Amino acid sequence: MWTYIVRRLILMIPTLFGVTIVSFLIMQMAPGDPQLAQLGQGGMAQTGQSREAYLLQKRDLKLDKPLILNFRYFFDYDEADRVAGYFLGRTDQQIADELPAMAESTDPAVKRRFEFLRKMKIYDFDARLADPQRRVDLAEAIRSYLKIYCEDNGVYAVADAMEILTDENSSQRMKIGMIHALDNMVVEPFVYTYSRHPSAKETPLIESTWRIWWDRAKGTFPRLDPDREKWCAGQFNEMVAEPSRAKQFEIMEGFDRDDMRFFVECLLGSSTLKEKAIASAVLRLYISRPLRSTVPLNADAQQVREVTENWVAHYDARISVYHPELVKKFWYIVSDTQYAHMVWRLVTFDFGRSALKTREPVGQKIWDAVIVTAPLVLLAEVVIYLVAVPLGIICAVNRAGSVDRLISLALFFLYSIPPFVAGMMLLLYFSFGDYLKWFPMLGLHSIGAESYGWWHYLTDYLWHATLPVICLSLFSLAGMAMYSRSSMLDVVAQDYIRTARAKGVSSTMVIMKHALRNALIPIITLFAGFLPAMLGGSVLIEVIFGIPGMGRLSWASIEQKDFPTLMALIYVQAIVVMISILLTDLLYVVVDPRISFEGQGKSTA
Amino acid sequence: MTRKKKKKKNQKRPASAPKSNLSKQPAAESVTLEKNTLNTTETSTPVASAADQMQGEAYLDIVWRQFKKNRFALWSLWLLVPIFVMAIFAPAIASNQPFLFQEGGETIFPWFRAIFHTEEVVDFVFNMAMIGFFPVLLVGLLLNRFWRNRRVPGRRRLARVLVLYVAVMIALTIVFSFDALRPSNKYRARTFTEEEFRDPENTRAVYPLIPFGPIEQDISAKFKSPGYRKPLDQIEGSNDHFIHLFGTDNTGRDVFTQMIYGTRISLTVGFVAVGIYITIGIIVGAIAGYYGGRTDMLISRIIEIVMLFPAFFLILTLVALVGPSIYIIMVIIGLTRWAPIARLIRGEVLKQRSIDYVAAASALGASNGRIIFRHILPNAMSPALVTIPFGVAGAIITEAGLSLLGFGVRPPTPSWGTLLRLGSENYEYWWLVVIPSVAMFVTVTVFNLVGSGMRDAMDPRLRM
Repeated sequence: MWTYIVRRLILMIPTLFGVTIVSFLIMQMAPGDPQLAQLGQGGMAQTGQSREAYLLQKRDLKLDKPLILNFRYFFDYDEADRVAGYFLGRTDQQIADELPAMAESTDPAVKRRFEFLRKMKIYDFDARLADPQRRVDLAEAIRSYLKIYCEDNGVYAVADAMEILTDENSSQRMKIGMIHALDNMVVEPFVYTYSRHPSAKETPLIESTWRIWWDRAKGTFPRLDPDREKWCAGQFNEMVAEPSRAKQFEIMEGFDRDDMRFFVECLLGSSTLKEKAIASAVLRLYISRPLRSTVPLNADAQQVREVTENWVAHYDARISVYHPELVKKFWYIVSDTQYAHMVWRLVTFDFGRSALKTREPVGQKIWDAVIVTAPLVLLAEVVIYLVAVPLGIICAVNRAGSVDRLISLALFFLYSIPPFVAGMMLLLYFSFGDYLKWFPMLGLHSIGAESYGWWHYLTDYLWHATLPVICLSLFSLAGMAMYSRSSMLDVVAQDYIRTARAKGVSSTMVIMKHALRNALIPIITLFAGFLPAMLGGSVLIEVIFGIPGMGRLSWASIEQKDFPTLMALIYVQAIVVMISILLTDLLYVVVDPRISFEGQGKSTA
Repeated sequence: MTRKKKKKKNQKRPASAPKSNLSKQPAAESVTLEKNTLNTTETSTPVASAADQMQGEAYLDIVWRQFKKNRFALWSLWLLVPIFVMAIFAPAIASNQPFLFQEGGETIFPWFRAIFHTEEVVDFVFNMAMIGFFPVLLVGLLLNRFWRNRRVPGRRRLARVLVLYVAVMIALTIVFSFDALRPSNKYRARTFTEEEFRDPENTRAVYPLIPFGPIEQDISAKFKSPGYRKPLDQIEGSNDHFIHLFGTDNTGRDVFTQMIYGTRISLTVGFVAVGIYITIGIIVGAIAGYYGGRTDMLISRIIEIVMLFPAFFLILTLVALVGPSIYIIMVIIGLTRWAPIARLIRGEVLKQRSIDYVAAASALGASNGRIIFRHILPNAMSPALVTIPFGVAGAIITEAGLSLLGFGVRPPTPSWGTLLRLGSENYEYWWLVVIPSVAMFVTVTVFNLVGSGMRDAMDPRLRM
């Protein structure tokens, strides 16, 4: 049996792989910009997030990566970088003035540059090029297209860009352009403070950043007198001991710019992570722009040199990212893609955050819905078992009699009512208007149910749940009753039942004691089949009855285009179905000792 | 599990092995047999195929006789007739275009022009079916006589006429889809109403039974309950005074008319979706079962993956992504539900493959395709065919559910689900809930009953 289980689990791996591919395809099929879709479409404009925040989010979701295979580390970005540097280093007017000459130039370098522009399929390129009035317009378009190009090829193009930037032969203008290109390629190049949960990995980056700044700015900070230094140390220790962030911040505001000398020493010298984190936070508070990542277009040589140094430092600190080893480059072909990242997130059950404005964690959302749906489906299941099994047995006992026919027919009609139609009719009849008003229209709890005692709360819940449970159980009722009927018939035909009857046992006794236990075996195994329903719920019924469960969550996420939630839902439900199928098979073995999986694998494989 | 297996082994015998079945038939069958032999000798078709036909016919006879025993199934088969009549003759029952319109000395026939100009393609195809119905009936009656003289058995005659009908329908649809060939609808923009009503002496209009169109709005009669009749002083047109048998909806459209036209949408979605997935399922399942080995392994995995996704949720997602439209719904239902059929067919084909006639066919040099489609599938297909009525019912429910959620048929096209959606928004308009609900219940029950009758007839072991 264990081999069987292991084999089934191994077979699950390709199936899971297929599931992820299907979810991925669904994501990519989504109309419009998938990046915007995942980030929440209208969200950006409405909440006024800055462009930088948008880019950061995009990077976190790995949406700047290629879809399936990533060969970008093997591309030569030299030419592209040069084009980007050329155009980003000029103003729109300058570009507009140069464009006509460029179009007619025979210089191969210029020609290539022009071809590159054409390949980007800028809207209305030729018409705008021909019309002197619209050339500035075109120049603006070119620059924004190039900026997007830089963003999309971010990490991969940096190495070549740095080469051009540090090249002695590059012109001043090209360097300025290159700096602009780099600024678009890399979001937040310099790290000043630790993240919310500081880790030692961040230390070198932060230290190197502040060190560069300190080397430059050292002269402007006078030496502190010992009293002041002692006071700073006292405050600093207090901050380190203080657990509340708000209090820490209060103390932070009491310092002076000149005290920063102390904190730089703290940061670069002290040992514990916590101290470093606080020191860096204080520094960030008082130093508004420690390192520049960009320069104005008319910058002088000194500014360019300074920013270049910054970029070189940044590049050196992250050389393994920008210029990985060859082996890693090959590994990144498959691992550094949108698909791979998605699979990894799904496998680790890290579903991220909802695309809605609330930015709720998807896992939390799903859990909140599951605890609503699961009890409801469980109740429905109990109802199904309590009603269907006795009905099936009655049918089986009176086989082909009038009772059997009547019940079968009634069940057949019940089976033919679509559950949502039944739900609407029940609501109309029992809840709406002044007619009967036996049950509430919407929801699972009365308003203010939280303050009820547990008994009141429970009865209130049951009162609300009656109609939904009836609808949920209608459909499966007939199937289950028929299943238990045929299972009972099978058992009744067995020899040992005849023996029991021959012995003179009363027919009620035969059914209840001998037949029922064996007839229940296949019925019990169906229990696991309800698992998917328990986690999936029913979309239509939950929508009709206004129940905030899984079904409504799926509907809402579809309607609001909340793709992270949608993908997580599809994935979770697929997994649950898989598990329930396995469980059903295993339950068979556990419940019925006559069945074993020996030799099963050979015939199926 | 052992129990299951035993059951399966026995249950498929009558369906899957008609040849062995035939030889074991009691004397009562010999009459049909004789008839068939006579027929085939007279039409002088090649012996081999004649034998094939003869046996197929005998099997259908058995199925039909079994089916007739089930009274409910037989009744519901008859109940299908009004449903189809309603769908095909919808404009003849309900339309706001008069059959005949006289004004002064001029007589025009707007209805006959209007049926060539519809908003929805489904409506157009059904209208063509309506046009073709009586000619085909006439031809069918003549052919029936002719074929009866040549001793073509009854059900085959019926089947041939049905095929002819479908062919005529398709031909008419293609022919009249060219703008130049259909009569222009120059009266469409015209209201047949005001001047006619004001001058009743000189004008005369003959309307269909229900003089309301499926997309004819009347803002002044929103949400009127069943039995509503417009008071005389508010009337603007000649068809206005007619009773709204089932009330009106949010734009004042007649619910009865919408129900009739909604039948077309429901039936189309049902049959086309099922047609798509049965076809896919049969082909995929046959390939998996026949070739076995790695192909089977791969296809089985794919089937497993498709079956893992909750069907309705997947359909909902895809429809929401691709965009709501009935054609997309049909295709998506078709593309997501084939897996169980494929699995069923795979199992059947696996069983058939080891029977001697397959070896015989391949020994005679038949190609794989021929063996699968001409030899194995006719014997293996019946369990899949049995699911058709259930599938149609399921697809109708799914379409209505999607429309209820707002992902289904686009609003101007009338459909049952759209009416339900309106009703679910406010239960005060109870007729918008009750009427489509009852219609759906009846339709679904009828299809389910036919399905269970078919299953019992083809597969007595499966009988509940």
